[in-house]
Amino acid sequence: MSSSEDPYALMEKWLKAKEFLVVGKGVRRADALEKAMGQARFVEDFYMPGHMLFIKQVLSTEPHARILGIDASKALEVPSVEGVFTAKDIPGENQVGYALPDQPLIAEGKVRFAGELVALVAAKDFDKAIEAAEKVKIMYDPLPYVLDPLEAMERKDILVHGEVGSNIAFRTKVRKGDIEEGFSKSDVIVENEYRTHHQDHVYLETEGALALPELGDRLTVISAGQYPHLVRAIVARVVGLPESNIKVIIPYMGGGFGGKDDEGPLVAAKAALIAKLTGKPSFLMYTRDESMLMHPKREATIIKYKSGASRDGKLQAIEVKIIHDTGAYSNRGPFILWRATVHASGPYRVPHAKVDGYCIYTNKVYQGSYRGFGNPSVQFAAEAQMDSLARKLGIDPVELRLKNLLRPGDLTITGQQLNESVGVADAVAKLAKVSEWSSKIKAYSSSNGRYRRGIGIGVAWHGISTSRGVPDWSNALVKIEKDGSVSVHTGIVEMGQGSPVSSHRQIASEILGAPLDVVTVDFGTTDAPDTGATHASRGTSIGAIGVYVAAAKLRERLNKLASELLGTSPDEIEIKDGKAYLRSNPEKYISWKELIKEAYSRGVEMSATGYFFLPKGKFNDEAGQGYAYPAFSYVAMVAEVEVDTYTGKVRVLRIWPALAAGRIINPTQVEGQVEGAAVQGMGYVLMEQFVFDNKGRILNPNLTDYVVPTALDAPEIMRPVYVEDIFKYGPFGAKGVGEMALIPAPAAIANAVSNALGVQVTKLPLTPENVYFLIKEKMGKKA
Amino acid sequence: MVEAVKLSRHNLFNTHIIPVNFKYFAPKTLNEALELLDKYGKEAKILAGGTDLLVKMKMRLVEPKYIINIKGIRELNFIKDEGNQVRIGALTRWRQLEKSELIKNFFPSLYDAVKVMGGTQIRNMATVGGNLCNASPAADSAPPLMVLNAKLVLASKKGEREIPITQFFKGPGKTVMEPDELLKEITIPKPEEGSGSAFIKVARTSMDLAKISAATALKVEDRKIVMVRIAIGSAAPTPVRTPKTEEALIGQPFRPSIIREKVKLVVNEISPIDDVRSTAFYRKEVSKIIVEDALLISYERASRR
Ligand SMILES: Cc1cc2nc3c(=O)[nH]c(=O)nc-3n(C[C@H](O)[C@H](O)[C@H](O)COP(=O)(O)OP(=O)(O)OC[C@H]3O[C@@H](n4cnc5c(N)ncnc54)[C@H](O)[C@@H]3O)c2cc1C
Repeated sequence: MSSSEDPYALMEKWLKAKEFLVVGKGVRRADALEKAMGQARFVEDFYMPGHMLFIKQVLSTEPHARILGIDASKALEVPSVEGVFTAKDIPGENQVGYALPDQPLIAEGKVRFAGELVALVAAKDFDKAIEAAEKVKIMYDPLPYVLDPLEAMERKDILVHGEVGSNIAFRTKVRKGDIEEGFSKSDVIVENEYRTHHQDHVYLETEGALALPELGDRLTVISAGQYPHLVRAIVARVVGLPESNIKVIIPYMGGGFGGKDDEGPLVAAKAALIAKLTGKPSFLMYTRDESMLMHPKREATIIKYKSGASRDGKLQAIEVKIIHDTGAYSNRGPFILWRATVHASGPYRVPHAKVDGYCIYTNKVYQGSYRGFGNPSVQFAAEAQMDSLARKLGIDPVELRLKNLLRPGDLTITGQQLNESVGVADAVAKLAKVSEWSSKIKAYSSSNGRYRRGIGIGVAWHGISTSRGVPDWSNALVKIEKDGSVSVHTGIVEMGQGSPVSSHRQIASEILGAPLDVVTVDFGTTDAPDTGATHASRGTSIGAIGVYVAAAKLRERLNKLASELLGTSPDEIEIKDGKAYLRSNPEKYISWKELIKEAYSRGVEMSATGYFFLPKGKFNDEAGQGYAYPAFSYVAMVAEVEVDTYTGKVRVLRIWPALAAGRIINPTQVEGQVEGAAVQGMGYVLMEQFVFDNKGRILNPNLTDYVVPTALDAPEIMRPVYVEDIFKYGPFGAKGVGEMALIPAPAAIANAVSNALGVQVTKLPLTPENVYFLIKEKMGKKA
Repeated sequence: MVEAVKLSRHNLFNTHIIPVNFKYFAPKTLNEALELLDKYGKEAKILAGGTDLLVKMKMRLVEPKYIINIKGIRELNFIKDEGNQVRIGALTRWRQLEKSELIKNFFPSLYDAVKVMGGTQIRNMATVGGNLCNASPAADSAPPLMVLNAKLVLASKKGEREIPITQFFKGPGKTVMEPDELLKEITIPKPEEGSGSAFIKVARTSMDLAKISAATALKVEDRKIVMVRIAIGSAAPTPVRTPKTEEALIGQPFRPSIIREKVKLVVNEISPIDDVRSTAFYRKEVSKIIVEDALLISYERASRR
């Protein structure tokens, strides 16, 4: 590598850019028309009934039981059935746990929740696969089971995972200063217990995969997932093939939200397993109820939170205990808990902190990744605490936050110093202005009558990248073809968010100076170098650095070539509007196409990868202190609600969002993300709710009984306030926004309801039934 | 005789798949439909908008052998003003009700229901006949039609009969219709001069079935209630009228304090349950509130006319 192509140097160079051709503009995404016309192809569109095997899953009906036997004889009699496959048929490893090795792909020996996969049935005929699956008999020896996480924590006699010796799957902690000292300095102390519930992703497209056997023991898997290289790794492990024998393609996806980061590789592994065992193309698509019964949910939590502040409104200490009901498997639970633990303070300076996290096994569907990743629940608790403190101190909630918000140079509760890219205080101040906070909070605090208005704020932070020293990198392959068109190959997927079809094109076009319409992005493919996952809001931040760096390398080469052709120095070259020209004399130019032709004839390589390894520090798990994340994105939200105090019905009238998430590459896309996340967050707070029976079975695994907000329920969402607090390890300084607006939504809406009713909300969801109780309880107290 | 149309197997993919094999008929006239019902009635299902039926078939709650799609029967799709009454064909879409000045002007409670029923897409597909025949306790058209004294015309090869809507429902998914019968039309008498009606629904989202709903019709003369009808949805195995509460209100002065007191009686006339949508407790509590609200709106509307 020539020194001029050092990725850190190139990033520094482009970070200084002040004027942009396409970045920062609401450029139309490349897939807009295809999608509007219904032409875009999703996994299911590749299924050809009759020419492929259809796979149907047999799920456990028991929450906890030994599998005594599986009788497939009746199923095998059904015409066109290819086979019934169980754990013992797996040629590779039956192990798919992401954080801990505790999870089989197909239940082996025992089942740990109702809905767990026990067998796969494959048949040529779609109907027959369903019929046969119903004929598979499983003999269970039921075991005692445990559903409540608090009970599970205490019990040693009922163990979800016997080999662990307890139902505590994982523990985390943060320790800073001395909380005894902190609380003794506190003039006010508030202590509450918070509860939050599960949430389903409800992506329009359920999970699916098609596995195609190829010559030479190779497999191609077309599947819905958020990280093609991880899908490949899991498939390889299960079918027992080298990763290089497997190609994964993630076509357009109908939503992911984290759910397909967890479940995607498993669906692919199931289809691949059948393809490997039968040698036939095999297709699996979850029905909605399978999807809702099987895939991991947003964590349900119990959070005990004690905070202290001095009379001047300065936070002194927090003591937090976070319990996550992880369900039958830890899945990504330990990572989720870790994130919740280090974010427990909210984006505030807290000198003394003690936070403990517990990830608890129960015999229910397991928890997993979902937009916000453990953070919405803990920010809800932290922000409810802030409001409780504000009330006790007699300080305005926004003012209290402004007194404590992190500013450049401050230490987080893990002792990490934040020197740059900390725009949160600025964002909150601006947000208070645009939402007319001061006048509204005054007016609403004394509101009376049946319909009461309330206003609330939630402020949150979200560490970007993976936590601690866990390696994170980016990469991409960018090629300029002979005709001047540009191909970008990335592992980042398109799941609606639009990063590969909008911001990646903008980044490549901006840096190369190539017209936007010549840039095509091939996304979601293992043919690209490992780019990392499309999760953690990284698609346009770390995930796009690969494109950024690769394009920057090519730009260096183009500048050099053009300068030689035009007789000047590389720094003098501008590339724009289909030409490379002299900055001082635009008349001296060579067209883009000519320039590329010259590159090919003069031996200048027109392809480059953009490998970038994110520098990180270390976290000391023993001490509960250290480096947590390279930087944080910040988000704040003000919500205005109206509560019908007779029926308990809450309406969110208006939402004002604010982001301090670095550079905004495409404001149109960002608005889409903010609006979608805000509505998803509102649904979580007001409507969505799983109902479990006494065996831990989900009673409402369908969209009649589990409801999400519709367009008619969406509040007015105002244009976001942006504070572009540039981060050096993001493309043009971008930190990422995908998850952001969901994170403070529970806090903002719950605090607004608290404001309207004059009681602090501590439990979600705020369904009319629950709000009605809250109102009655308060009236009872008054009486 | 109409030939069975053979469905392409390709129907089985591209989301999502009706896991039932059936024979399909698409009659063009009422007589053809009645013939088919006569022949296959017990094992057949009528398909109107399909917004209830297809959902149930996908979930395999019903697995009919025959599907009789009546959507092409033009003579079942109409809204007719006949002076003292309005007739609505069973195949009339909710969207047509929404656009009808007649419905808006004469039957405000029904119009309220139309506005909160499903979303635009559903209202474009769904028929009012399907809503009634599906016989959900939560059917949004039922409470308003009950307080409007609607009658239903049922037809079979043997002939027609007319029954008051209050006698139509038998239980969740059950009606008095015989297997060979079909709902032909709904007739609603124009409301008496000086009366008003309203409908209120409490649901989880804007496109959801009711947790609980209530319709009222009211007439006040010389400050006294001279006519009142109340119907409640989603609070019993069928939508119900609440005659005891009505009786207690008749003759009373129309005063908010009196209304509030008397509507408490409705909880004795309903038998709601806990389910995934709500709780029995909440339904009872809120039934009083929405009946009161609906009465106040009915009153307001009556005095505006
Ligand atoms: C997303 C969604 C939202 C919905 N929201 C609401 C809502 O807010 N309120 C509400 O009340 N409902 C709602 N529904 C339910 C449904 O849309 C309505 O009940 C609708 O009116 C049914 O009419 P249809 O024409 O689609 O009936 P279909 O599904 O065609 O038929 C329903 C049943 O009635 C029978 N049937 C239909 N027509 C006749 C006839 N003329 N004679 C005899 N039998 C007949 C059918 O055999 C079937 O059993 C919703 C449904 C969906 C999918």
